[in-house]
Amino acid sequence: MGESSVVVGNGRGATAGKQQRDEVFVEYTKSVCPVCKVVVDAQVNIRGGKVYLRKRCREHGWFEALVYGDAQAYLASARFNKPGTIPLTFQTEVREGCPSDCGLCPEHKQHACLGIIEVNTNCNLDCPICFADSGHQPDGYAITPQQCERMLDAFVASEGEAEVVMFSGGEPTIHKNILGFLDAAQARPIRNITLNTNGIRLATDKTFAAALGERNGRHGKSINIYLQFDGLDERTHREIRGRDLRTIKRRALDNCAGAGLTVTLAAAVERGLNEHELGDIVEFGLAHPAVRAVSFQPVTHSGRHRQFDPLTRLTNSDVIELIAAQRPSWFRKDDFFPVPCCFPACRSITYLLTQGTPGEADFGVVPIPRLIQVEDYLDYVSNRVVPDYAVREALEKLWSASAFMGTVTTEEKLHAAAEALNCADACGVNLPEAVANLTHQAFMIVVQDFQDPYTLNVKQLMKCCVEEITPDGRLIPFCAYNSVGYREQVREQMSGVRVAGVVPNATELQPLLAESPYGSKIARSQHRAGNRHRLIGATNVGRRAVPGMGKPWETRR
Amino acid sequence: MSGQPSPTSAEVKACCAAAYSRDAVALVLGESYHPGGLALTRRLATALGLRPGGRVVDVASGPGATARLLADEYGVTVDGVELGEPAVERARSATDEAGLSGSVRFHRGDAERLPFPDAIADAIVCECAFCTFPDKAAAASEFARVLHPGGRAGITDVTVEGGLPEELRTLAAWVACIADARPVAQYTEILTKAGLAIVSIEEHDGAVARMIEQIEARLTVLRMSAAGRLAAAGVDVDAVMRYTALAKQAVADGLIGYCMLVAEKPA
Repeated sequence: MGESSVVVGNGRGATAGKQQRDEVFVEYTKSVCPVCKVVVDAQVNIRGGKVYLRKRCREHGWFEALVYGDAQAYLASARFNKPGTIPLTFQTEVREGCPSDCGLCPEHKQHACLGIIEVNTNCNLDCPICFADSGHQPDGYAITPQQCERMLDAFVASEGEAEVVMFSGGEPTIHKNILGFLDAAQARPIRNITLNTNGIRLATDKTFAAALGERNGRHGKSINIYLQFDGLDERTHREIRGRDLRTIKRRALDNCAGAGLTVTLAAAVERGLNEHELGDIVEFGLAHPAVRAVSFQPVTHSGRHRQFDPLTRLTNSDVIELIAAQRPSWFRKDDFFPVPCCFPACRSITYLLTQGTPGEADFGVVPIPRLIQVEDYLDYVSNRVVPDYAVREALEKLWSASAFMGTVTTEEKLHAAAEALNCADACGVNLPEAVANLTHQAFMIVVQDFQDPYTLNVKQLMKCCVEEITPDGRLIPFCAYNSVGYREQVREQMSGVRVAGVVPNATELQPLLAESPYGSKIARSQHRAGNRHRLIGATNVGRRAVPGMGKPWETRR
Repeated sequence: MSGQPSPTSAEVKACCAAAYSRDAVALVLGESYHPGGLALTRRLATALGLRPGGRVVDVASGPGATARLLADEYGVTVDGVELGEPAVERARSATDEAGLSGSVRFHRGDAERLPFPDAIADAIVCECAFCTFPDKAAAASEFARVLHPGGRAGITDVTVEGGLPEELRTLAAWVACIADARPVAQYTEILTKAGLAIVSIEEHDGAVARMIEQIEARLTVLRMSAAGRLAAAGVDVDAVMRYTALAKQAVADGLIGYCMLVAEKPA
């Protein structure tokens, strides 16, 4: 931020003649000012082999953030982009343009692969890192059963038959109606449920784990657990969660295994904290009977988080390189492929076929992309003809935001993908069948970089397929919800308590920041912003993305 | 070559044909896979200057994925030639399913005696197969005979520069397209002697490295899922893995590579 952050080939003296820029300009897009959330024009540039998004707010100056650590991989990923599917209904109209009309508005390019229902703002932890700004808070909200049903109905109206709904929060397992919410979801045409949890209740309440186990597989619909799990070091737990939760996580996992529940470990990854633990987390997951997947997410610098530098933050390619460097005998970075349903720079996935336990003699692991030429199926730009359309369909469902281990869909598609290993029944071995026999031990690794107010690029937002379902029946792209003011708007509407716009805790913003009641950062009042510069048609669009978003000093409308 | 005797032509042909339809090597190679995948096939098609309505002969067409791609994306008619009857049958049925039987046909035949009259083809493609032909000069002459003047032959294949490790010269390695692969200069010489003029030569060494890794991945999966049946069939996974490790090292050392050659029959 500030005047000094951008020096692009100018001011080097009149006598030097024309200067080369030190970067390649690749995209022109829109974003928001991370301080006042005014919608601003933005540009994406490649510099030093890395991809940066840069933008200028008339009031708060220039901002730049790293969005992809490997420019080659970023450009190559563009081919892994699937034509979107139009949802059955839209909830809003196009009025102000992206990202102010969420959602979904008719300009949105993709349906919802995954719908998220946040059932509360309360949590039994007060983690130093929480994009939802949740915790032991007296002024939050919890949804009612009627509101939950309305949210589920909105999702079904949009999707027809929905693949996955995720219950989140806050901490959803402490909502008194959580089991009723799961039943309400299972009573609707929604194939699978994922419960996003810190694991405390699963660790301490076996009855609860059993109640989930009973519902898992009912009517052929699975309930899977998305367990926050950031690492194995005590320091990681204390810095990210504020407590040493290692025993609790193990108990939660053992109780899941006992109840027959499939678990995805969800790790928030922050530079200088737990980036060294990625291989260990995968290895731990491979060894635990309940775990079938790991999802690595660079910490989303929305809500509460540690102070950070937007120019050195972790991105998907950084995480993939770290995984490969930490377990070189298992992974290479090209084992990961971008997910074509959303914008391909947002999420990458690989699957492993495994056998045995890491460290033991019989352990074997093969990344599925080493068996199948994934790009021959999921490169939608090059391939008019693919070798086998059933295999493409299977890979589409596996390389999707709706893919969760433990669902019937994912198991079936792993099985179908094995058909790509076309070879006749040789030596008495049918390879597709042999692989299919291994798919019940398949293991999924997801790398997902959610956008924050620094990295937000509406190009990606417009094709987002992970949507927050709001109590008033909107479907808001997850990164818009967290980055441009919708989260604050919904909390304010639901709780009746004014909620200030959250500002990233970036090092360069420290002079502007004050503490919010929830531990996140907000703009100090002398830096009020938003209404003074409305010069539409100039560089900036000129108004805040979400007008209803309150400031402590503003009168509530 | 020293040490191991070279297999006879008949042995190699029989072994290749069998390998690509039903034996252990087919199991680890897969039948439709060739280094570079569809991307290299498209690159080859572009280099050949295929135009709608053109006629292409695909020599060693396997299960026909390339033939179908060329017909569908480039609007050409394709005649595939394949030595093994089972592969021809599978190629036909997959092509029926794809609705491309009108423009893609398959013939059982030998690259050294192509079942076509003179000067009927605008282009010939031959992917990862030329090196397995025992009489490469005869195959090249057949390419020249079947092409009409101005037509182009496109070959992608394994190259071997200098000497290979002794262990990679056995019969098993023949079918894996390694042991009788030649230096690029020999391929160009063979094509030139057959009366074709070299138009372009490209290196794609990464493609062969990836193929070897795919073989290793398939072997690992087989060991994980069907170790007993593999052993019963006499497949020694460790022995094959020793081959692949040697082959990988040879790629890293620049001894084994992959090239795309385009040659034209003078008008």
